[in-house]
Amino acid sequence: MGEAAGAVDAIEPAGVLEPWEVFRREKDGDPMRHGGSVMAPDATLALHYAREMYSRRQESVHLWVVRRADIHDLADLDLLQPPLDRSFKKPGGYVMRDKLAAARQVSGQAKPKANKGAR
Amino acid sequence: MTDFAGLEPIAMDFSGAGGGRERALALLLLSMADDEFVIGFSDSEWTGIGPILEEDVAISSLAQDELGHAQALYRLFVDVVADGRDADAVAYDRPPDGYIHARLLDHPRGDWAWTIARRWLYETADAARLAALAETSYEPLRQLVDKLRREERYHEMHVDAWLERLAGGGAEPRRRLEAALTAMGPDAGTVLAPLPGELALVRHGILAEPFAAIEARWRAVTSTRLIGLGLAALPPTTDPDHARSGHSDAFRVLHADFTMVRRSEVGATW
Repeated sequence: MGEAAGAVDAIEPAGVLEPWEVFRREKDGDPMRHGGSVMAPDATLALHYAREMYSRRQESVHLWVVRRADIHDLADLDLLQPPLDRSFKKPGGYVMRDKLAAARQVSGQAKPKANKGAR
Repeated sequence: MTDFAGLEPIAMDFSGAGGGRERALALLLLSMADDEFVIGFSDSEWTGIGPILEEDVAISSLAQDELGHAQALYRLFVDVVADGRDADAVAYDRPPDGYIHARLLDHPRGDWAWTIARRWLYETADAARLAALAETSYEPLRQLVDKLRREERYHEMHVDAWLERLAGGGAEPRRRLEAALTAMGPDAGTVLAPLPGELALVRHGILAEPFAAIEARWRAVTSTRLIGLGLAALPPTTDPDHARSGHSDAFRVLHADFTMVRRSEVGATW
C-alpha cells in the first residue's frame, strides 16, 4: 500500500462473512424447503449467492435467506424424544397391537382373517 | 466515427449482404457480441480464484451468462451476414484486430476491485444500449434483447452491490476501486461510442436513438451513482474515434488464450 504505515481506516471495515441458511420453493404451491447454506457478509450478497447456488439452473421460483445466528434451535433428545411411552399423545391412541396379540395367546383365539368383500 | 481499419475482409465480408441497413445491423450485432464475449471470457479467469467460494461460483456463472449472450448475438450476426460461417467461426477464427469490442474491455481483469469497476462500467453501459434496443424493429433481436435484459438486471444488481461495498469497505478496497475507475474511466464511454451507419439503424427503427444520446443518459445516471458513493464522476472518453480498434497487448494475450484449443486442431468437430 502507498499510504503511511499504520494508517487507520476511517470507514467501518467490510462485513464479516457468516453463514446464511437458504430456503427454496421449487415450484408454485410447494412449501419452502431448506436448500443449504451460503457464506456472505450481508443479506444482499447472501441472496445473490443463494440465487447462484440454488437457482442458476432455474430450479427455484422463490428463495429466502436467514442469518444462521437468527435461528434458535432445539436438539435436546430428552425433550424431543422422551424415553417413556407417549403413544397416548398420538391421534391413534395407545398402540394396541402388542396387547391384542398377548390377549389372543392367553385365550387361544386366532387372529381373525381379513374379511374382504363379504358384505 | 469509429475506425474499422483492419476489420475487413478478416472479420466481415459483406458480399451478399444488402445495403446500409444490413451492414449497420451486422456491425451493431458484432460489436455487442464481441463485448459480451471478451468480458465473459476475461471474467471467467476468476474461476477457482474468486475471493470466497460463493463469489467464485457467482462470478463464474455471470461470466458464463455473458458467453451465452455472445453466442446468441453471434448467431444473429451470422444470420444477417450469411457468408457460410457459423457462430463459432466468428467467435474464434479472427485475428485480434478483427475483434470490435470496446476499448474498455481491452483492460485485463486486474485485481478484484478492477474487475468490479470494469464490470460496473460495462454493465451500466450495456444496460443503456439494451434499453435503446428494447423496441427494435428487427424482430429476432427484439426477442433476444427481451431475454438478455432479464438476465442483465441481475448482473447489474450484483456488480452494483460490490461497487457499494468496495467504496465503503475501508481504505484499501476504496483505494483500489478508485485506482481502477481512474484508469478505466476515460475508456468507459467506448461501449456507447457511435457506430458507422448508426443513422441507418435509427432510421429503420432498429436503434431508438443515436449512441451519443444513449451515452449522455448513461453518463448522467452513472455520475449520480458514483458521486453518491463519494467517487469521482467519469471523465470524457479519450479518442472516441478509435473506440473499438487498436487493441491492447492484454487483449492479445487473452485472444491467444481463448483461441488456443480451437487452433490446436483446425477444422476439428468439437
